[in-house]
Amino acid sequence: MLNRFAFGFYKLLLVLSGLAMVATFVTIMLNILARILGWNLPGLDGYAGYAIAAALFLALPATLQNNEHIRATLLLDHVRPGVRGKLETVSLLLGAAISGYLAWFAVRLVWVSYTLHDVAPTGDATPMWIPQLSMALGCVGFAMAFVQALWSRFSGHPFFAAASTDALHAD
Amino acid sequence: MEVFVAVTLVVLLFVALASGLWIGLSLVAVGLFAMGLATDRPVGDSMVLTIWGSTSSWTLTALPLFLWMGEILVRTKVSEDMFKGLAPWLNRLPGRLLHVNVIGSTIFAAVSGSSAATCATIGRIALPELRQRGYPEKLAIGSLAGAATLGLLIPPSIIMIVYGVAANVSIAKLFVAGILPGLVLAALFMGYIIIWSLLNPEQIPPADKSTTLKQKLHASRHLIPVVLLIGAVLGSIYSGVATATESAAIGVLGSLVVAGVEGSLRWKTFVEGLGAACRLYCMIGMILAGAAFLTLAMGFVGLPRHLAEFITAQQLSPFALVMALTVLYLVLGCFLDGISMVVLTIGVLLPTVQAAGFDLIWFGIFTVILVELAQITPPVGLNLFVLQGLTKHELVYIARTATPMFFIMLLAAVLSYFLQDQILWLPNRM
Repeated sequence: MLNRFAFGFYKLLLVLSGLAMVATFVTIMLNILARILGWNLPGLDGYAGYAIAAALFLALPATLQNNEHIRATLLLDHVRPGVRGKLETVSLLLGAAISGYLAWFAVRLVWVSYTLHDVAPTGDATPMWIPQLSMALGCVGFAMAFVQALWSRFSGHPFFAAASTDALHAD
Repeated sequence: MEVFVAVTLVVLLFVALASGLWIGLSLVAVGLFAMGLATDRPVGDSMVLTIWGSTSSWTLTALPLFLWMGEILVRTKVSEDMFKGLAPWLNRLPGRLLHVNVIGSTIFAAVSGSSAATCATIGRIALPELRQRGYPEKLAIGSLAGAATLGLLIPPSIIMIVYGVAANVSIAKLFVAGILPGLVLAALFMGYIIIWSLLNPEQIPPADKSTTLKQKLHASRHLIPVVLLIGAVLGSIYSGVATATESAAIGVLGSLVVAGVEGSLRWKTFVEGLGAACRLYCMIGMILAGAAFLTLAMGFVGLPRHLAEFITAQQLSPFALVMALTVLYLVLGCFLDGISMVVLTIGVLLPTVQAAGFDLIWFGIFTVILVELAQITPPVGLNLFVLQGLTKHELVYIARTATPMFFIMLLAAVLSYFLQDQILWLPNRM
């Protein structure tokens, strides 16, 4: 139940990430059009930057769950299965710790920007905490995914999606 | 003390990467450690600010959009068509369609200023086709890893803009100076493919039956969508409609149009492509974010600056200086990304380089070639990571396939010392 909820959450964040990617595209096209047609739309550069940051961070948990964050597996592939299991656990523990640290400070950054009324240096003066929310949300999801992966390891639930049947996959 | 810190950091990075910890997180972890040692600034806050700053910039948008373009194109018949159109022309050249990697990268380098975007886009399109046709995987991946670095040398190029600003030289002249060495390097890569194929003819799939010129031209109709797409992207840059960064959006628009005209644009493939692009960018972006923070931490530790100061203090002859700088950038390139390498060292090195009598435009080209090398040197080489993400091969395997390209580029870097006048000929005509 909790697992299903978590997977749904990662999926939702990935959908938002896709929307952010589309938003980046639309913003840049608007900027090009605005220049050609002589419209005055200030701050578009900034918005495209915020959107692409959102696309990156919101996809973090789904990318982990799809096993698409890369790592060096040479050592893992060449040790006994028991040792491999221990190493995998250590990796997940470290992953949970680092992503948790990242999530904590990403949330803190939103809070600091909000309380200090930090605004964008561009003409539109966007309050910075709004775009930074995407980084906080994505990093929290990332840390959550690591904790869930760790928990799944001990409880025997599958966490990582099965290897993709992508045409590029070769063994 | 400093040597001790440096060695500790290098060992730590190796251990973190080799243990199987995710690469982006490894870079963050070593950065945290280094910064904790070097300063008493608030580490966590500096970390998120650096990561946010490096990932939310306008100039970064070109990379993810080009990745998305690749994901759209790979779900159309464009890549298959491109190979159909090129196959008759490359039939007689030893290595045949493997040259698509080099030619494709060279052309795409003229579209994008980044080597990761070139690597991912060409790799996404060319590697499945090459594999399906039975070309040797080793050479296909290796030649792509090398050729994709041309994204840096052939204008427009992000790294040249960074160098031009840091060294206060004309960016336009740098761009022009990069064209000739870029083409020479591409020729060297093709030369390697030709020689390898002549030595191992049994590993290259047999030629199609030879065709007349008329048939060749007829087959070339398959190239029309690709040519139009490249034309649209390049045209948008040089007509001033879009900047080099924005041209990636034109590329996405163009590939959507191509998919629409071809009839392969469906909601399902669109969503699949978008999701795949987001996850691929997320993987690369997480590494870039980690590298940005590690760079910040290295700056606090002062490692690149100390190495550069050390070389400056040696009073070397011009040739020995060039050799020493080659070694410096090779070492730094194992750990830092290209732009950081330039930013962290150039201030210290420029007076020495000028005092040795080198032209700063030439030195820019020399630096860019060495930065290209850094893209394919393990343990931290962005092209290697991109190719691992695309092919799911182990990092060490990919690094090994890229080794011949590494030596070719090293040769090019040394050659550039002897060909300074030739490299400067074109920019001096401006």
